[in-house]
Amino acid sequence: MSLDLIKDILIATVPLLVIFPSLFAFTTWLERKTLARIQNRIGPNKVGIPCTRISLFGLGQPAADGIKMLFKEDIVPNGADRLFHLLAPILALIPAMLVLCFLPLEFPWSKLMSAKSGVQAFLLDGAVIFFFAITGLNTLAIFMAGWASRNKYSLLGGMRAIAQMVSYEIPLVLSAVVVVMSVGSLNAADIAKAQEGWNWFVLTPWGLVAFIIFFIAALAETNRSPFDLPEAESELIAGYFTEYSGFKFALFFLGEYISMFAISGLAVVLFLGGGAGPGVAAFPWIAVVWFLAKIFGLILVMIWLRGTLPRLRVDQLMAFAWKFLLPLSILNILVAGFARFIPQDSLFPKVVVWLVSFGVLYAAAWGLNKLNRADVKPREYKYAE
Amino acid sequence: MNILGAGIFKGLGVTLKNFVGSYFDKERLTTNDYSWRPDDKLPQSVGEYPKEEGEQLSDTTTVTNYSRNFPMLLHDGGEPMDTVRCVACKICERECPPQCIYIEKDYDENGKHIKRPAVFDIDVSVCMSCQICVEVCPFDAIVMNSQFELSTPNRFGGLLLRRDDLLKSNDYYHQIHPEEAAARDQQMAEAKAAKEAKKKAAAEAAKKKAEEKAKAEAEAKAREVAEDKTEDTE
Repeated sequence: MSLDLIKDILIATVPLLVIFPSLFAFTTWLERKTLARIQNRIGPNKVGIPCTRISLFGLGQPAADGIKMLFKEDIVPNGADRLFHLLAPILALIPAMLVLCFLPLEFPWSKLMSAKSGVQAFLLDGAVIFFFAITGLNTLAIFMAGWASRNKYSLLGGMRAIAQMVSYEIPLVLSAVVVVMSVGSLNAADIAKAQEGWNWFVLTPWGLVAFIIFFIAALAETNRSPFDLPEAESELIAGYFTEYSGFKFALFFLGEYISMFAISGLAVVLFLGGGAGPGVAAFPWIAVVWFLAKIFGLILVMIWLRGTLPRLRVDQLMAFAWKFLLPLSILNILVAGFARFIPQDSLFPKVVVWLVSFGVLYAAAWGLNKLNRADVKPREYKYAE
Repeated sequence: MNILGAGIFKGLGVTLKNFVGSYFDKERLTTNDYSWRPDDKLPQSVGEYPKEEGEQLSDTTTVTNYSRNFPMLLHDGGEPMDTVRCVACKICERECPPQCIYIEKDYDENGKHIKRPAVFDIDVSVCMSCQICVEVCPFDAIVMNSQFELSTPNRFGGLLLRRDDLLKSNDYYHQIHPEEAAARDQQMAEAKAAKEAKKKAAAEAAKKKAEEKAKAEAEAKAREVAEDKTEDTE
């Protein structure tokens, strides 16, 4: 392994390891502030620069929280499996950090410092497949945490997490298939390149439906509200990380937010044009800014949804995945396939194809919704007479 | 036919309205931001409760709906301990259901009881705002205060109000509860007038009685004198 290669690897990965954890700190502050404002509170506003009265809107809060987490006692339950109890938070963080490498982010300094033009962590041809494969590891970490804690709440949380993540992974992948089909490549950079010039997939009917399905499934994959059943604090205390304290808890927290960034990043690549945006042609480094801005846009929507929607019931959660999202995403693949291969000449102009496919998809969603709604009848008491 | 997912967007609209509104409408906020205050001292009474930066402290003397009511001790102006109405009779201490009042009598150097409390503590972390102390006080010395900001940085005894914290003038009482204070003053004046009238009547009665007695005595004396005269003549 040559020295240049090691240098290139460092140039590509160190920014990811620095930027995203700092963005995580900022996001916790953003989330707390936004939720507070939604509930007509102020949110953290005291902690700023230490030893001064400068509070900076409470931006010092994440640092204070981090220091608090580091100094907290690390408690392991008596009956817990100590090895796996330690391993679970690490295993939760690793895949989350790893998938960041597949995002086509080209930081401006990589061009200056490296001999090659533009270093990126993994220019893999199968990036999208690898992304899903590695995200799947997260489920294992969560169940490991639930099992190793030897706590009923933790185990219940872990079981819920398995059921939820396995169910929602299918619509997640199937909605990404639509984009992969249209581009004909699994390479994240190619997919982003195919959407240049406002050809974003979210602006097509099948792309819009796929984006909505992807976003819902992403919420479930990252255990975000309204799909936060594995860690439902009103039901399971904290779910799978009930027995975690101190820095291990912080690692879980970090892993969760990093996977939020990662899956938002994938959504940006697949549907929102990657780094495309005004000014990219003149200044190529603006692409990174656009990319991160789009990720933050999606995360803001996630926070907004968390402030709005109540948590689903377990049966509602499973029914929604299997009876609504799955059929709709399969139909969406069919529609996208027809739209891709139908000859777009005077007989079928683009507008007609789009209108028809949108109509078909909307009708299907509406019908599935109708089919899934059980008739609500007055309750019958059979044995109470 | 409803548009699919319309409910979610409606909900998002509600939260957005609250989000934006909380930046512009100060009335929405359920908590108050004191970060602009120069020192860490929190406002201690209704009179010290400004809502916004730059507002004068004396501008907000009205009782808000969010205030909590705990007892205070009244005095009639001037040096508080000279005009304090409380005589340390300990009726309120005995009647207090959660037993949050503690009183010690005050004595002068000869060991004689002065009619005022040396110690009067109310633990407002225990007080349940039942007003029984107010009901039982025969001297109208204890009434309910209205305070908004009761939080304290001291968790050991920060909520134990001492005598000097509890002492408030009658004017302050008029400020926070005008009608109640006026009614109480009128009641006290009436009671005082009735007492004085009774006293006057009693004094008059005593005077009359004394006069009658004197008259009777004089008559008796006169009679005696007359009898003596008759004896002399015999």
